[in-house]
Amino acid sequence: MNILIVDDSKAIYAMVSKMLEEGGHTALWAEDGLRAIEIIKSNKSKIDVILLDWNMPNMNGPEFLEYNIKEKITSSPIVMMTTENSPDAIKKALSLNAAEYIMKPFTSDILFNKLSLIEMML
Amino acid sequence: MIREEVYKFFADYIYKNTGMVYASSDYYRLDSRINELVKFFSLSSPDELYSLYKKEITLDMRAILINISTNNETYFFRDVKPFTTLAKKIMPEIMTLNPNEEIKMWSAASSTGQEAYSMLMCLKNSLEDSAFSKMSVEGSDVSTKALDKAKAGIYSGLEVQRGLPAQLLVKFFQQLEPEKWQIDLSIQKKAKFYEFNLLTGLFPSDKFHVIFCRNILIYQDKENKIKILNNLSKSLRKGGVLILGSGESLVGLETNLQSCMYDDFTTYKKI
Repeated sequence: MNILIVDDSKAIYAMVSKMLEEGGHTALWAEDGLRAIEIIKSNKSKIDVILLDWNMPNMNGPEFLEYNIKEKITSSPIVMMTTENSPDAIKKALSLNAAEYIMKPFTSDILFNKLSLIEMML
Repeated sequence: MIREEVYKFFADYIYKNTGMVYASSDYYRLDSRINELVKFFSLSSPDELYSLYKKEITLDMRAILINISTNNETYFFRDVKPFTTLAKKIMPEIMTLNPNEEIKMWSAASSTGQEAYSMLMCLKNSLEDSAFSKMSVEGSDVSTKALDKAKAGIYSGLEVQRGLPAQLLVKFFQQLEPEKWQIDLSIQKKAKFYEFNLLTGLFPSDKFHVIFCRNILIYQDKENKIKILNNLSKSLRKGGVLILGSGESLVGLETNLQSCMYDDFTTYKKI
């Protein structure tokens, strides 16, 4: 799958993209929600899943989810991937159409397990 | 060469954050993990890594350390199919055959409880409250440490992410602390855990409507496989269903259980 990682931390991008590539996936990177919109709209490559951080400059995760509800820029499943780990945060993300939720810290088996849950929905 | 102080620092941090124990006699098991972290941060030695982490551990550094230092554990809803088949196919049939009866299930190698709780969560999700009130699961294992954890029903942030969809996490768990989640009392009170050895235990007769015994037979020789299967069969009620692991079957084993397909999922029934 082509997976867009939206996270302002280059270290997290490096870790997650390494996991994904080892699992046979391709990773793209956007450092915030605005850059993610640009990448999605440029439509250069099909994006199968979006991994979305919560706290980022310019446009954060929930703002991106709200923007997508209004503008419908993508129908790809969006998985939150964040240190925000309260039940309220999870409920909020799910109510904004996030398909799944990964709490940092996580391991590669959790990432692949969540991706397989997503693949079952596709 | 990794100094004792460096080992201790990372062992203590991993224990505090994941519950995984690295005793001082096992510090060598941290070697590859510490070296992987050194490489990841483009440092030149474990001492440099120690200085970096000692100075400040950001949330991202914590995530990277824990990712590199933990192994796989038991999953909720492992393999998915046994649970969806239980809820959608097996249980409606058993309830029709046994109206008004208490339905007893057994997670025969329950480990830390994820299988037993997954059985209950999927049934709670699919049945009316009145039907769910008749359900109970017994979980057994040889490890008292695993059973203590199962009884407490408290899992780390990593454990609740293994197999459990986020929708079910917020529906069936309360967050006690940022890294501690407890199974809801409505589920927990339906599960009972106790020590039991499948090779030496005294099996009850005609007790259970459903038995999950997954990924145990695979480690046994033929003689023990037959012994366990015959004992499990003894404990099943007539018409009761046994569910084995995805890589296990009764092929080549003489038992009084009959294979029974639900769509493409194989179970074994006591006729």
